Amino acid sequence: MSALIDVDGLTRRFGDFTAVDAVSFQVEPGEIFGYLGANGAGKSTTIRMLCGLLAPTEGRATIAGHDIARDPRAVKRSIGYMSQKFSLYLDLTPAENLEFFAGAQGLSGAERRRRVRDALEHSGLDARRDTLTGALPGGLRQRLALASARLHQPRILFLDEPTAGVAPDARRAFWRDIRAVAAEGTAVFVTTHHLDEAEYCGRVGLMVDGRLEALDTPAELKRTLVPGVFFTIDGDAPRADLRRALDGAAGVRGLQPFGRRLRVRLDPDAALADADALTARLADAGVADPRVEPTTPNLEDVFLELVGREAA
Amino acid sequence: MRVEALAVARKEVRQTLRDKRTLVVLVIAPLLQLTVLGFAVNLEVEGLPTVIVDADRTAASRDFAADLTAGELFEVVERSPVAADGVAALVAGEAEVALVLPRGFARAELAGRPAPVQVLTDGSNANHAIVARNAVEAFALQRGLQRLRERGAVPTMGRPDVRPRVLYNPTLDSRVYFVPGVAATLLLVVTFIVTAMGLAREKEAGTLEQVLVTPLPPSALVVGKTLPYAVVGMLDLGLVVTAGAAIFDVPLRGSLFLLAFAGALYLLTTLGLGLLVATLAKNQQQAFMAAFFIILPMVLLSGFMSPVPNMPEWLQYATLLDPVRHFVEILRGVLLKAAGWADLAPQLVALGGMGVLVFLLSARALSRKLA
Ligand SMILES: Nc1ncnc2c1ncn2[C@@H]1O[C@H](COP(=O)(O)OP(=O)(O)OP(=O)(O)O)[C@@H](O)[C@H]1O
Ligand SMILES: [Mg+2]
Repeated sequence: MSALIDVDGLTRRFGDFTAVDAVSFQVEPGEIFGYLGANGAGKSTTIRMLCGLLAPTEGRATIAGHDIARDPRAVKRSIGYMSQKFSLYLDLTPAENLEFFAGAQGLSGAERRRRVRDALEHSGLDARRDTLTGALPGGLRQRLALASARLHQPRILFLDEPTAGVAPDARRAFWRDIRAVAAEGTAVFVTTHHLDEAEYCGRVGLMVDGRLEALDTPAELKRTLVPGVFFTIDGDAPRADLRRALDGAAGVRGLQPFGRRLRVRLDPDAALADADALTARLADAGVADPRVEPTTPNLEDVFLELVGREAA
Repeated sequence: MRVEALAVARKEVRQTLRDKRTLVVLVIAPLLQLTVLGFAVNLEVEGLPTVIVDADRTAASRDFAADLTAGELFEVVERSPVAADGVAALVAGEAEVALVLPRGFARAELAGRPAPVQVLTDGSNANHAIVARNAVEAFALQRGLQRLRERGAVPTMGRPDVRPRVLYNPTLDSRVYFVPGVAATLLLVVTFIVTAMGLAREKEAGTLEQVLVTPLPPSALVVGKTLPYAVVGMLDLGLVVTAGAAIFDVPLRGSLFLLAFAGALYLLTTLGLGLLVATLAKNQQQAFMAAFFIILPMVLLSGFMSPVPNMPEWLQYATLLDPVRHFVEILRGVLLKAAGWADLAPQLVALGGMGVLVFLLSARALSRKLA
């Protein structure tokens, strides 16, 4: 079984500026592929090239076996796309939007009616089918956009920041949809700003300034990029005092604010890499009532590590 | 392609019916403008404010002034025996015409010598000035002949007797002449702007991008986006012709089918231009500006407000490239003269040629840009 998305050395320049720099990866059927990166890292530019909206400057890519440069129509037939900016018609109802996009896919008659009805039911929009789309809350809009992108049952879905600006519980519902879609064998390529969402992804690619700096499962990324043990520390002291107590100590690899608290990453073999040792150290430094809890690395640590390396 | 084009057209109609502003532009505005423009523009000249300067103060001079100003053309606003008053009234803008009958007018006329009459006109409205001068000359000639007959003298020489009669618009009602021009202009503005703005709006909103990731062929987009406005354009044409007949008594002497056919050819150009502007413009504002700067010269060159024969010669050739000019001629021909296919063949061919060319080129440019 070959990959549904196969990208090789894909590059896009705007004048002198390289927005996407020789990116290569594959996405298999049923896989959720997360694409992470800061603003302007080149996520949308990558998607737009893969959807046939933007011509690559260099490199090649095939979508479901079709070359994006040579056969854009075949590519379009096999993909569904949700753009970063909501772009269904605000002055049409959900039912009318779905009907239009089904028609644009060449669906007609009873088949079209059935798909539209199913899509409305599945996305929980049945009750609002005749409200104007512009009047829907953000979460429902995004589910409508997803339903619209899936009308023709594409084998590949491109979702560009589908949960930006969506309330947390609506975000969770949305991700349930995405996982269900992938479980049916669809390849899902999704970009996000929310690092916690990347944990739902089978594999994650990290974009920094147009380059794909790391690509692996979340667990592997954490293991290889941010090895070490993690603790969150707290106490009856300002965060600056907590930081001062540990800054520069042997074995301390990183200190990050975490809410009111502080996250510490330590070498596994360091003397301080132990809850009791850390507590003692904080008490010695004059922090009243120090509290130390072991925790696990997350993708934010990975991301910060990568960006830090870039800067160094 | 049929399914996709229909889906686009249906969506377009839905949005239009829902958007009150577009509806107003498409239906109400044309009627309103036709009425307002029709009443505002009146090419007939009458009631020219006139000063009578009668320095002669004789029965003959009074008679001359009274007979001349008896009609609708001159309206006497002031009388004075001093010529300087007439000039002052013209300078002050209180009058457009001053008729000066100098002392000795009656004596000269009685003696059979040329009797001097002076007409001063405000040339800032050249048309008014010419009409006034011609009227005075014609009246003077009539009066001279009248005098000869009264004395029993019959002019021995035959003289040409010019009796102008206007065909097709016997009462020279300028509105009848004007309505076809308004109809052509309105059709141009409405279909051009709505097409261009509609696509530009989709570009701005990002919905066009969402459409472009579907396998919908560009031709379906072009057809779906223009067909509804072509239908509206034809309805507008019918509406304006009907309103012209009801409000301004514009006749419909020729074939309705010919009118509709020419309308369809004309719409190819206007819709094609809409597509072209939408292709080039990045947003609605640019589309609007571009449309404005294309429409303006088209209307000016059409001869609808200033007749083509009054233009410099090189400009007259340029008007041949203006579809509005051809459509106005066809409308006037069909409405006022019962002109048929053969009479209007040159205009129809020109209009059709330009229409097909513009539409195809624009549609291709748009498809290229989209694909
Ligand atoms: N059409 C364009 N012309 C010039 N520069 C562009 C164009 N499109 C994108 N860029 C630039 O390319 C870079 C990458 O943009 P892109 O939209 O891919 O970023 P992104 O990772 O999606 O960011 P965001 O999280 O803000 O959506 C940015 O610096 C952007 O300014
Ligand atoms: Mg983006």
